[in-house]
Amino acid sequence: MLELRHVSKRFSGIAAVDDVSFTARPGEITGYLGPNGSGKSTTMKMITGLIQPTSGKILFEGQPIERDLIAYKQRMGYVPEEPHLYPHLSGLEYLVMVGQLRNLPSRPTAERIDGMLRLLSLHGDRHSPISNYSKGMRQKVLLVAALLHDPDLILLDEPFSGLDVASGLVLRSLIQELAARGKVVLFSSHELETVERVCSHVVILHRSKMVADDSIARLRALMSLPTLEEIFSQLAVEQDTTAISKQIADLIRA
Amino acid sequence: MTNLQFRVLYREFLFRMVDLEMLSAQGDISELFGKFASLLVFFSSTLALGAFFRDTRRIPPEKLLLANWGTEHFLIATTMLVVGLFAVLSWDSTFPDRRDVLVLAPLPIRARTLFLAKVAALAAALGITVGALNIGTGVTWPMIFLPVGAGFLGLLRCYAAYWITMVAAGAFIFCCLLVVQGLAAQLPRRRFLRLSAFLQMAAFCLLLCVYFLQPSLATPKALAAATNHRLLAALPSYWFWGLFQSLNGSTAGQPAIAFLVRRAWAGLALAALGAGVAFLLSYFRTLRKIVEEPDIVAATRRLNWSPRFGNSLATAVVLFSVRTLLRSRQHRVILAFYLGIGFAVVIFLMKALLQEQERLGASTGVLSHQVNVPLLASTAVMMAAWVAGTRIVFAMPLELRANWIFRVTAVRGTIEYLTASRRPLFVLAVAPVWVGSAALLLSIWPWQPVLEHLVVLGLWGAILAYLCLHGFQKIPFTCSYLPGKSPLTFVFLGVSLFLNLLIAGVNFERRALDRPASYAAMVAVLAVAALCVRWRTMARAKSEESEVQFEETLTPTVLVLGLNRDGVVPM
Repeated sequence: MLELRHVSKRFSGIAAVDDVSFTARPGEITGYLGPNGSGKSTTMKMITGLIQPTSGKILFEGQPIERDLIAYKQRMGYVPEEPHLYPHLSGLEYLVMVGQLRNLPSRPTAERIDGMLRLLSLHGDRHSPISNYSKGMRQKVLLVAALLHDPDLILLDEPFSGLDVASGLVLRSLIQELAARGKVVLFSSHELETVERVCSHVVILHRSKMVADDSIARLRALMSLPTLEEIFSQLAVEQDTTAISKQIADLIRA
Repeated sequence: MTNLQFRVLYREFLFRMVDLEMLSAQGDISELFGKFASLLVFFSSTLALGAFFRDTRRIPPEKLLLANWGTEHFLIATTMLVVGLFAVLSWDSTFPDRRDVLVLAPLPIRARTLFLAKVAALAAALGITVGALNIGTGVTWPMIFLPVGAGFLGLLRCYAAYWITMVAAGAFIFCCLLVVQGLAAQLPRRRFLRLSAFLQMAAFCLLLCVYFLQPSLATPKALAAATNHRLLAALPSYWFWGLFQSLNGSTAGQPAIAFLVRRAWAGLALAALGAGVAFLLSYFRTLRKIVEEPDIVAATRRLNWSPRFGNSLATAVVLFSVRTLLRSRQHRVILAFYLGIGFAVVIFLMKALLQEQERLGASTGVLSHQVNVPLLASTAVMMAAWVAGTRIVFAMPLELRANWIFRVTAVRGTIEYLTASRRPLFVLAVAPVWVGSAALLLSIWPWQPVLEHLVVLGLWGAILAYLCLHGFQKIPFTCSYLPGKSPLTFVFLGVSLFLNLLIAGVNFERRALDRPASYAAMVAVLAVAALCVRWRTMARAKSEESEVQFEETLTPTVLVLGLNRDGVVPM
């Protein structure tokens, strides 16, 4: 179980994440939603241990993650928002390196990489440098790297970015399958339709603060709104989107 | 609109000679340029001081003429060498990079504006290099080179001659390298990228070899000798030396100089024309190809052979480092620059050996087949240059934003990371020099002194590697780069001192190779030194506060204690 207790992060005094608390349970897919700049990726980075919270606690299975960060990282898989990879390495070289960095046994890891690359239709390009890969191919490499060590906690920051329809469907089923096998899945996305289909529980951020933490069904009932998109619009979108788009169009013409 | 575009692009290209993506958040590229410029100014000022020690009234005219001619040629050849090295180092910035093209192509900017801004930026960089290198010498030495009896106008003419010659010599060498690059760019881009690496290395070696090995022909006797005619015709530094004599009005009685002047002008015109045509042809062609084809050349082999270098972490770090160095052109060129410095010293040492051979009248090769100091010193110098160069490129990242993977997968302790990070320096620097030296020396010298020297060389390599790694808390190629951190001028002075000490040490080794007791003592001292530096480096890595560094930071000038009046530490 992943638990955030009053977690805040400030950059030069400005709150990027402000007093966020929620729990993601095994077997459950937690959707982490919010508009641009609301603090989703910062929270993800704090959960991965890439940055430290200014205050609050992040617990995994009841233990603060900083107590044994190494043991925690061994059980965590992370797909970042941006597909930053080493462009001079081939996909295969990159994944082998990740396996070595994670201290995984070489032969089973090689077989696992081979199998996953085949299933994700990347096997034919495994020797090409990553600089030649499309965004979707890079995303697949990140996904394989995140799952290579069979993690218990899976953090997915915009995992559908750049994926084609078929790969997106595979990933959607994969996320559900992993959750069904008892993994803790925290999943951040702007694709509300996918979130609605995949997640059982959502946390919504707005202006760095948490504005909702509940199951989608309960949120629907509480707010008397039929879709997650409408719930999200109600909670986290305070602008009149039609008016803004009209103003932009007017501004271009002026 | 076009003028504004030109100015913006010109400024952008001038400061993009170094990849800004690798810089630390606190990094300022102008500081790095400033340090390089100050190094050139320092070098120039040091040489400029020599003019004050040449008493033109006391030295006999014949000797003064010889001394002046030698100095003139030295200054011209040095300018050509520095500009040549600058041109090789900035090879990759001759064309806009992929990112530039992707950002600029959708904008309404004419390719012509882009081209002119790039040419102007390159010309400005060349001008700054020539200017900084001659800022001191260009003030003091023309007063010494002034022909006898020339008045104030003669002095002005001498100054003009000096600066025109230096700019012309610099432009000639720069244009020659542009011709080579322009011609190579006619090949398919992938082949061009592959060939570029070899061309850069070849240019480095050629520039250094010509600079250090060219004979001294700036004497009336050598100029008049028919046997030197072909040599003079082949050495551009002498053409421009002849040009300086002509512009300075001091060619009287030297018909050979007229020939050199003709060569200089013809060479300059041809190089400029060739560079213009080749660059223009390749530029617009390359601009399109930069977008269509990737900058990284794919590995040709499909065998995924990956040897082990210790545990899996060390293997990952070593393989990552080897692949980065082999596949990143920018890192290879920087390493080649340091190897070039080592190579220059080696050429200098070998030249001394050949001169010694000539002096003794020994047939070619006799001295080199005996254990000698220059060759012993050469291996030690190459070891130092290779280790220092590799350590410096390790500090420059490749795709900085991709380093998150090392942080997210940090499933082992810091000490293991730092231990693994040391291994690439041994694999990529110490081992190649050691193996290369073993192969070379065993082929020319008896095996016993060679083995003895290899032990010394190995220990020397280990000492250097551990010294270079002291405080290096990074995984190679993953930490941001903070330019201008090292005081280059002091480094330059330190290297000069270091070379003198090294030669003294090698002289001692040469004597010790004949005396077992001295040799044993020497090896023992080196072994103890190696163990001490290893212990020191390891102790620092093991200290509690040590952690793997991914962001280079400046040491603050003012330390903030973080204490409030009430004694509470602010959060």
